[in-house]
Amino acid sequence: MILLLKLAWRSLWRNRRRTLISAASIGLALTISVFFIALADGMYSMMIDQAVRMQAGHLTLEHAEYRDAPSVDLVVDGVRALRERLAELPGVEATKPLVVAQGVAKSGRDSIGVAILGVEPASERRSSPLVAKLTAGAYLEDLEERAVVVGEDLAERLGVGVGKKLVLTSNDVSGQLVEELVRVKGLFATRVEEIDGYLVQVPIGFARRLTGMGPDQATQLGLVLSPPGLEDEVAAEVRGWLSGSRAAVRSWQEVLPDLAAYIRADGGTNYVINGLILFLVMFTIFNTVMMSAMERQREFAVLLALGTPTGRIQSQLLAESAMLALLGCALGLGLGGGLAYWSQVEGIDIRRFFDEGVTVSGVMVDFELRARLTWGLLAGLGAAVLAATLLVTLLPMGRVKRIPVADVLR
Amino acid sequence: MEAIVKLRAVSKDYGQGAVVVHALRGVDLEIPRGSFAALAGPSGSGKSTLLNILGGLDRPSSGTIQVDGQEVTRLGRAELARLRLRKIGFVFQAYNLLPVLTAYENAEYVLLMQGVPAAERRRRVLELLGQVGLEGLERRFPRELSGGQQQRVAIARAIAAEPALVLADEPTANVDSATGEALLDLMARLNQERGVTFLFSTHDRAVMRRARRLIRLKDGAVAYDGPAEAVDEADGVR
Repeated sequence: MILLLKLAWRSLWRNRRRTLISAASIGLALTISVFFIALADGMYSMMIDQAVRMQAGHLTLEHAEYRDAPSVDLVVDGVRALRERLAELPGVEATKPLVVAQGVAKSGRDSIGVAILGVEPASERRSSPLVAKLTAGAYLEDLEERAVVVGEDLAERLGVGVGKKLVLTSNDVSGQLVEELVRVKGLFATRVEEIDGYLVQVPIGFARRLTGMGPDQATQLGLVLSPPGLEDEVAAEVRGWLSGSRAAVRSWQEVLPDLAAYIRADGGTNYVINGLILFLVMFTIFNTVMMSAMERQREFAVLLALGTPTGRIQSQLLAESAMLALLGCALGLGLGGGLAYWSQVEGIDIRRFFDEGVTVSGVMVDFELRARLTWGLLAGLGAAVLAATLLVTLLPMGRVKRIPVADVLR
Repeated sequence: MEAIVKLRAVSKDYGQGAVVVHALRGVDLEIPRGSFAALAGPSGSGKSTLLNILGGLDRPSSGTIQVDGQEVTRLGRAELARLRLRKIGFVFQAYNLLPVLTAYENAEYVLLMQGVPAAERRRRVLELLGQVGLEGLERRFPRELSGGQQQRVAIARAIAAEPALVLADEPTANVDSATGEALLDLMARLNQERGVTFLFSTHDRAVMRRARRLIRLKDGAVAYDGPAEAVDEADGVR
């Protein structure tokens, strides 16, 4: 074994330049892949985190029929007891009851269709990024009545500012038209058009009164998880509790299908592009190993003449490829991992490239991009390169068997 | 003396159809253990083909070959490799040392393949390299050695594993005459002292004279088989 590794290592460095170029190619491709995949993962994580915290959590409990036909009368009952029970589950960072209703906001200037979102201000302060997006006035308080926060776009179109009055019109759970006068307490700017021009947040107590819901009811009960990876376990546990009831547990992918579809599509494209880069690199490796094997036909013939089993020579070629791949991996994973880690810690400020905020699928992308580097990503990419390298070595290995020893040595 | 090599009606044809080259034509030959024999003949007479077939590097078109009692023609690829590893040593005209291994490692290679313990390997290799006059050069790579020194390493590699038979294809062809003489002295001494059977091909009349037996091939058939002293006689030269 030691001899085999010694032969492989020394053979690898016989053509130093070729080996260095090949290792650098693998390293460069891996650097690009690690960095961009980690950056995309970081961006997706941030988008998911922002969206679920601003809306209905990583997991959402809602009436089983709500998803197909959202209506204010489809509610979750026993919210208080559920929250107490949910809070004891591992990984549940916060629970947030929401009352969701469609309505119209009217001012002296205009009437605009809006989404009325009744929230628990205290919970939102802890978990929702929207609170930090307040640009004027103040955020809501738990027991406040008739106070709202609205997006800057909506306020502008309605011609209102902080302290001004609005009339909110909606339907209650019995289908009756209801109307309430409210005062604008604060303005926010998430730079997401769908939120800034459409959302009206009110304290949940007020929303319940407006829609006629009971104090123990909500349209949705969101679960914010930390870490988010526990979604499946928590969902399975909660589904067990809810069997037989009219409530259902939804994943954020079901609640935010556009965002989920975007991440799937963009992530898929990312992987395809990175896969293509690595595929091209495989040709470099194939070329290196093949050239090396072709040039050393005589040497292999000598080894065969001395009685070396074919399998041993093939193993040597495999070891050479593995060493080349490991060199490239060390370079690429080190460099790519280092870059990704740096951007994870420091963040990449994209403000200078975009005057306005960047939104993707209705979710705002932070001006500061942070990669999300995981050992899984490094191990997965390293293993993929190693496996692909070994795979492309199969052909040169196969040629060893067909070396016409007598002819080559003639 | 017991024959280490037995050939019966060995033929080797290359090509197909109308263009067939008969490299060997029904060769019968026996080489006794401990021989120091030269295989001579002009280019294309079949010397290398015969050595390759004897070493299991090539297969005959017909006939049977026994090496140390083993029927070579019946052996598969892996068994042939084992036979070469255990019983046959090769010395090539172009030395064919492994360029990435030092002189010591080249000589040690076959022993390693055979699984000889480290201490025993070390003892044998150092002794042999000393015997072939390479003491102090053990750590040199082939590129750092002269042609003659490389061929000495090749000889050490061929006999390190104490094979029953050493096949040497024109071992002195790429070295100057003085080095060639020294190499022949070395092989003769190893033959005498260790009883290693040597069969080497050569063009060189001086080399032929050093053998105890001369086998001359012509057009793929044995044209002369007798004492090497009679080489000139065999050629009709006086």
